[in-house]
Amino acid sequence: MSNHDSRSTSSTIPPTPGTLPPPSVAPAPRVGMDPRPHAPEGWAPPVAPNRPAEPTEGQETVTLTIDGKEVTVAKGTNVLEASGLLGEEVCHFCYHQGLSIAASCRQCLVEIEKMGKLQPSCQVPVAEGMVVHTSSPTVLKARREMLEFTLKNHPIDCPICDKAGECTLQRHYMAHDHQLTRVDVPKIRKPKHKDIGREIVLDAERCILCSRCVRFCEEIPGTAELTMSWRGDHEQIDIADGHRLDNAYSINTVDICPVGALTAKDFRFAIRAWELHATPTTCNGCATGCAVELHTKHEQAYRVVPRFDPAVNGHWMCDEGRYTYKELDPQARVHRAEVDGATVPLADAIATVATRLTKARKLAVVFSSSATNEANDALRELAEVLATSVKGREGITATRYVLGHPRGEGDAILRDADKNPNTNGAHDAAAGSAGDVDKHEAELALELAGRAYDAVLFLDDSGELSEVALAGLANITSVCLASRRTPLSSACSIVLPAASWAEILGTYTNRQGLLRVVQPAWRPEHDRKHRADLLRDLMLAMGLRNVATAKERTRLLADEHEHAELQALVTDPKAMRPTLLRWANMRG
Amino acid sequence: MTISVKKVSLQRTTRDQIFLPAILEGLLTTARHFFKNTFTPGHGDVETIRYGEPGVDVKDYYPERFRGVHRLMHREDGSVRCVACMCCSTVCPARCIYIEAEDRRDDAEKAPRSFVIDELKCVVCGFCVEACPCDAIRMDTREHWIPTETRAEAVLGKVELMSRGEQSVAVQGGLGASYREQAPKADPRFTHDPR
Repeated sequence: MSNHDSRSTSSTIPPTPGTLPPPSVAPAPRVGMDPRPHAPEGWAPPVAPNRPAEPTEGQETVTLTIDGKEVTVAKGTNVLEASGLLGEEVCHFCYHQGLSIAASCRQCLVEIEKMGKLQPSCQVPVAEGMVVHTSSPTVLKARREMLEFTLKNHPIDCPICDKAGECTLQRHYMAHDHQLTRVDVPKIRKPKHKDIGREIVLDAERCILCSRCVRFCEEIPGTAELTMSWRGDHEQIDIADGHRLDNAYSINTVDICPVGALTAKDFRFAIRAWELHATPTTCNGCATGCAVELHTKHEQAYRVVPRFDPAVNGHWMCDEGRYTYKELDPQARVHRAEVDGATVPLADAIATVATRLTKARKLAVVFSSSATNEANDALRELAEVLATSVKGREGITATRYVLGHPRGEGDAILRDADKNPNTNGAHDAAAGSAGDVDKHEAELALELAGRAYDAVLFLDDSGELSEVALAGLANITSVCLASRRTPLSSACSIVLPAASWAEILGTYTNRQGLLRVVQPAWRPEHDRKHRADLLRDLMLAMGLRNVATAKERTRLLADEHEHAELQALVTDPKAMRPTLLRWANMRG
Repeated sequence: MTISVKKVSLQRTTRDQIFLPAILEGLLTTARHFFKNTFTPGHGDVETIRYGEPGVDVKDYYPERFRGVHRLMHREDGSVRCVACMCCSTVCPARCIYIEAEDRRDDAEKAPRSFVIDELKCVVCGFCVEACPCDAIRMDTREHWIPTETRAEAVLGKVELMSRGEQSVAVQGGLGASYREQAPKADPRFTHDPR
């Protein structure tokens, strides 16, 4: 069988016993299941093998001259990285910070004094006293002629190419070459739109043979499905007979492809890259919390791509995480509050919920491991408020649950078996005071079905409950803060419209205990609100004063974790503005 | 060059103040045209372009580069020439072009599933034609947009746009290797430097 299969089975790490302290009130855990996700033992983020040029403290440094400017860089880095530190990126195709060096495209040639020929700057390590010229006439001429060779068999079918607008070849052509072709022999034809995997389509004609994808498959997932076949002009990327590019990280090859040779089936012909707005945010597909960009247009999401973060995911993300944007389907969104099936104004719905919850005798609050820390914290506060006796009302202690997506497949690279982004944060909030924590979802289902409660408040719409439990929800006061139609939100008698993760500023606590930030890609439409703000409205309706808003909770978290980026986002809303990709043609 | 100044008196004469002579003069002109055009065979020296009358083609009166209603050109096999590159919808200052792409399942790969132009929003600038890399969209119908009873009638879909179209003589995908013989001489600013 293929290399891929043997590896994926062997590398699936069983959940390790917890190193974090267990929840304060520990119920009987599921056998072999630790509710809190942890990174596998010995796990490290898949960061760049190439050393960045910027020297860290205590690192040995080297001083060299690039284009007449002296620069001090970390020892062991290469000339390309060093010139990048000066802000003058040497143009290149095959070099990638996260992969080994091939030096096959010859696009990054530079002139180094005392070296006879032009040198590929990606492959030359920096040395003391080196004198480099990155834009001398010889270098520019070489660069231009290399581009001409690269374009020799390129079909230039930009109008139908998904990469157009974010293509490295287009960018370098406009910057350096900008000439008509001098080739008057027919171009070599290679396979076009060839289906090579579950997610990927190959266009061998567009390929410029940089071998980034080949190196990626060898080095990151370690599956090595791709290879170079044929020789010379006829050389092309191919998959071995009987094999498919089916590893769990395959769409990364699309991101690193400098041209449109590899395109993702999901994004194929969906929209042009220059129409998209990019929002830096966090993947909510699993407990890893990879740094991602959400690409959107007109309040609709089109794709999720990884963003470099050395602390968590390096340059990569898994294929599964790329499909999390499907949750933002505009057709399934909840826009207005609903009470017993009728659409009502949000204020009326909040008042109804406040009345019914205060009248409840047996109450359950369900924290969500896919909701933000702010929302979970607000729910903890609400549970505490309900537990205190005030004049005219006796306090009720709500039973606490944590609900989320069911567990899935994990591996030792990035994917975690816990498919919720904020299990840690939810458990921290749920364990804040006495109460049952982390009961099995099935147990919750049984209790709900058996009418153990007369009121339940769900923080999120995700989570799988049995049909019996869902049927039981219809007869009691069941409140769901839902952003979309799911079996759970449809079963609840009261639905409050909550903003999805693409509409809010919030935080998750990932499996490393790091604070991960989600940012809004667009404003919430209609009555949709941050879950923490909905719960705040609810507490205000119960007669409380001075309840923190979602933003204030975020600010507190940012100060507590000394998270400079988050602090900046809270103080300056302009910092959250998405970038139009038309002006950020730097991917690939 | 000298500038001559002609002094015009704004003083109204008695004849002007009565108005009747001027009115009668005007009526006389109208009556002359009416009788001449009605009773002379072949419509006389009528200067009005009569839309919709048989035998009168409006297109004959418009200049060659008049920008009219859009049309979509065809391939040799009659399918749409457009490859949904979105260049026209991107460049459109009025944002009146809406395209959704789909897979063609043949070598052309990409085609528009829907191609909609809102002629009411269109400012008739012709940028879409300039931007098109495939000679797929044109405005050379010499047909200007006639007011409609409803807005929906002014929103043209792929079928309406293609019904005005015809097969383009341009080679799909460019001229290939033989471009040297067939293409016009390149702009000298972009030719390769001699060595």
